[in-house]
Amino acid sequence: MRIAVLLKQVPDLVEEFEIDDAGTDIDREFLTFLLNEFDNQALEEALLIKDATGATVDVVALDDPEVDQALYTAIAKGADRAIKLTGANGDGWLSTHARAAVYAGWLTGESYDLVLTGVQAADDLDGQLAPMLGALLDVPHVSVVVGVEAADGTARIRQEFAGGAISELDVSLPAVVGVQAAGAEPRYAAIAKIRQAQQEGNVDEVAVDPPAAASGLTIRRMYPPEKSDRAEMLSGSEADVADRIIALLRERGLVQG
Amino acid sequence: MIATLLAVEGETREVFEDINLFGKVVFYVLSFIATALFLWGSWQRITKYRRGRPAGRIRRPAAAPSSNGSAPTVADTVPSNGQPSKLHTVGTIAANSTVAKRDRSMGIAHFFIFWGFITLFIGTVILTIDEDIVKIATRQFGEERSFFKGVFYAIYSLVLDTMGFAALIALVYMAARRGLFHLPQLDYRRAEEPAGGYDRRQYQLGDQLFIGLLGLVLVTGFLHEGFRIRASGFPDFEIWSPVGWLIAKGVSGAGVTLAGSDTIRTVIWWVHAVLALSFVAYIPYSKAMHMLTDAANLVTHDPTTSRRLPAPDPAAGHLGYQTVEDFTWKELLDFDACTKCGRCHVVCPAAAAGAPLSPRDLILDLRQWASTSSGNVTLLDSERRPEPTGPLVTDGTLAGDVIRADTLWSCTTCMACVAACPVGIEHVPTIVELRRSLVEAGTMEPSLQDALQNIAQKGNSFGKSARQRAKWTKGLDFTITDARKEPVRYLWFVGDFASFDDRLQSLSQTFAQILHGAGVDFGILYDGERNAGNDVRRVGEEGLFEMLVEQNMEQLTAAEFDEIVTTDPHTLNTLRNEYPGFGLDKPVKHYTEVLADLIEAGELDVGALGSTATYHDPCYLARYNELTEAPRRVLRAIGCDVVEMPRNRDNTFCCGAGGGRIWMDDSGLTERPSENRIREAAELDVEMFVVACPKDFTMYTDAAKTTGHDASLRVVDVIELVAEALDRQPALGAAEI
Repeated sequence: MRIAVLLKQVPDLVEEFEIDDAGTDIDREFLTFLLNEFDNQALEEALLIKDATGATVDVVALDDPEVDQALYTAIAKGADRAIKLTGANGDGWLSTHARAAVYAGWLTGESYDLVLTGVQAADDLDGQLAPMLGALLDVPHVSVVVGVEAADGTARIRQEFAGGAISELDVSLPAVVGVQAAGAEPRYAAIAKIRQAQQEGNVDEVAVDPPAAASGLTIRRMYPPEKSDRAEMLSGSEADVADRIIALLRERGLVQG
Repeated sequence: MIATLLAVEGETREVFEDINLFGKVVFYVLSFIATALFLWGSWQRITKYRRGRPAGRIRRPAAAPSSNGSAPTVADTVPSNGQPSKLHTVGTIAANSTVAKRDRSMGIAHFFIFWGFITLFIGTVILTIDEDIVKIATRQFGEERSFFKGVFYAIYSLVLDTMGFAALIALVYMAARRGLFHLPQLDYRRAEEPAGGYDRRQYQLGDQLFIGLLGLVLVTGFLHEGFRIRASGFPDFEIWSPVGWLIAKGVSGAGVTLAGSDTIRTVIWWVHAVLALSFVAYIPYSKAMHMLTDAANLVTHDPTTSRRLPAPDPAAGHLGYQTVEDFTWKELLDFDACTKCGRCHVVCPAAAAGAPLSPRDLILDLRQWASTSSGNVTLLDSERRPEPTGPLVTDGTLAGDVIRADTLWSCTTCMACVAACPVGIEHVPTIVELRRSLVEAGTMEPSLQDALQNIAQKGNSFGKSARQRAKWTKGLDFTITDARKEPVRYLWFVGDFASFDDRLQSLSQTFAQILHGAGVDFGILYDGERNAGNDVRRVGEEGLFEMLVEQNMEQLTAAEFDEIVTTDPHTLNTLRNEYPGFGLDKPVKHYTEVLADLIEAGELDVGALGSTATYHDPCYLARYNELTEAPRRVLRAIGCDVVEMPRNRDNTFCCGAGGGRIWMDDSGLTERPSENRIREAAELDVEMFVVACPKDFTMYTDAAKTTGHDASLRVVDVIELVAEALDRQPALGAAEI
């Protein structure tokens, strides 16, 4: 069984974001980047399958900022091979549509049984990557997945629904899976192991063509949430604040009496 | 006195009197067997130590310039200072001072047993020299000569009788102490209950056998002496064996005849001989081995290994410990040195808090595991379990199965065990090595993993942006010098908690204002600073520690400064003791040292606060760096009446946050160490609980609340008190009016 895990770097959300001069993207110059947390879950799920079945796990990423760190960390955790697809990232943000096209282009020439990726990312909150990839590769896809048990030619997949209900699905392989959560907390990679992987430097760089497909969408304007003045800050003594809250609740008919 | 001594000229007693040739042969055969058993057992132990890797204790390797151009490791560049000389250590051993430390009566009793048996042993050696060397040698050249007679014999008898009797009294005290006093340190119940149960009755039987054997050897020796004196009809010179003389009087008073005494004497002689020889044979298989292992362990003890942890063995090919061969021989000797005295057990904050760790149990488990896997034979010195768990594990991981992961994670690295140990066991470095194995395997709780990942990615455990590190300085009405751009006298290494914790940022601002007000030339590294790595290293994440050192050293090397100051004792410890191995060559001071100097030099004009306070010594100041007086100097200078808690200075009690515990869950504890400490302080009639460590401030403000003492006991940092004392200064010129 061969598993590919698609990894993506996203901006660290603890940083302060600013909009660039064009007003259509965040200013990426001073940001730091981290592995998308859901991709980390996908990697863990793949490694759990490897632990259980002896599958090989390859991690695949585009040439995102600071992506080497994520690839070496994956190797330190037990990934067998790391592949970096270069030449696809332009100057700015690569839309999920374009990203899916690049991955699909490369995956077509490979023979993976399972392609795992995070169900969503900070810049892909609508979780498009897995379904698009499934469509482009013409294989089944399941998203919001919380468990994968893989066997020959098929996988039993647990998918989460609102309210915590879980459905168990059988899917024929190859397939693309968007992972919500792995069966265990993502494992820790000791820094010494990551540094060792770094020194060995076993990241395969594969040049790919820039994505041709356009999403048909253009970002017209990007902006931070506009402040509304509907919020009222209550101040004063605890008793005053409590009185005001009670008055407000009554005013709006939220409590009776 | 001299006259009576001279009167005994020529008088002596016969060695092997009444023992015929057959008896002599039997005795020598038994002696040979006992010695052989002793040597075989000792060799077994030594073979085990030889499995361990070098420890650098006999001769410290000189700092060699790195040939492959890689950064030097801590191990090969640290200076050998901080270690007492070997001669000094021999004096310590002779005086039993580590035994008497914190337990005087026990120390005195041990001193008499120790010297009593050494004296008796020397006595036997003297006899052997006279009997088997001098007599035999002189016989070859004509007349047989002997020095075992006359004045020499009288003094010999008196000294041996006195020392033997003192040892006997001390043994009775020791037996009573074990049997009647119910001391918590002698309670062998484990800190954690293994799932299948356990049985440590062997330990108690072993103790009883040890004390019993020693006591019987003495008693039969004295009885023999008494019956001999009775049998020989009370010759005058035998008064120099006063204990034997009294026994002889008693025997005679009880109506035992001369002939009867002679027979009994022979029987007792054999009993005494067999007991003494059995004891010799028994030494290397039992608790008695501590007579040898502890002397060796103290001589090779390095008290600095906790504050300056050894780097992992680069030749091991893996992090941490997996097999006996991964330990240093000193660690393997540590395990055999343990006498189960339990002093570490009762000072351990983890054990007191109900955590599954006791330093004593840890060492005993490792000893049993290492001895079993080395084929060492032991007598009444093992824990038994119905299931092969813990020390009985033969097929499992060392860190995880032999020693449970939660046991290892419970350690706060407060070093109380190392400081309390009378025999030089170094628990903390061993625990950290075992933690390194856990880190390599990724076995840790999620909150710790998050903290480590945050530190790796952002340089701080809070997960805040590295760029926000100096945000706290925005609240000041002046700008702190950027030490990366301008030379300063003091480089203030702020540390994570003082930089990022909301409650501690105001303390950092206050300290900055005090320094600024006193005209002190200081600066900080702003967002160039990273977590110093003290606790990261003690968690066992050595790779991350090295990364942090590299990042910080890059900044420190580029900055120009005379001294480093920090408010954080943990940061102080690694900067002062571990960073020199990576090239830092500047003094590192705690802020209380700087404040004490400033106040005493008149640079800070402080008034008197006039309050009562108790001061909590941070482990990393008091125990790790012997820094106890500076904060007290400050408190006295600002008019605080300092009342000491029972556990103070190097006997301080940990707040529970050290060694990375601050990043771990402590909800499973029965009583948090910080709460235990606040209750100790609440017993004193003081207004304030003064701390000198950012972590302490958060730990104890919380503990004061959860124990309900926050209204009566104010938790306050030295920084705040100095600021208050500055406000309290008499207005300038007020005195003249």
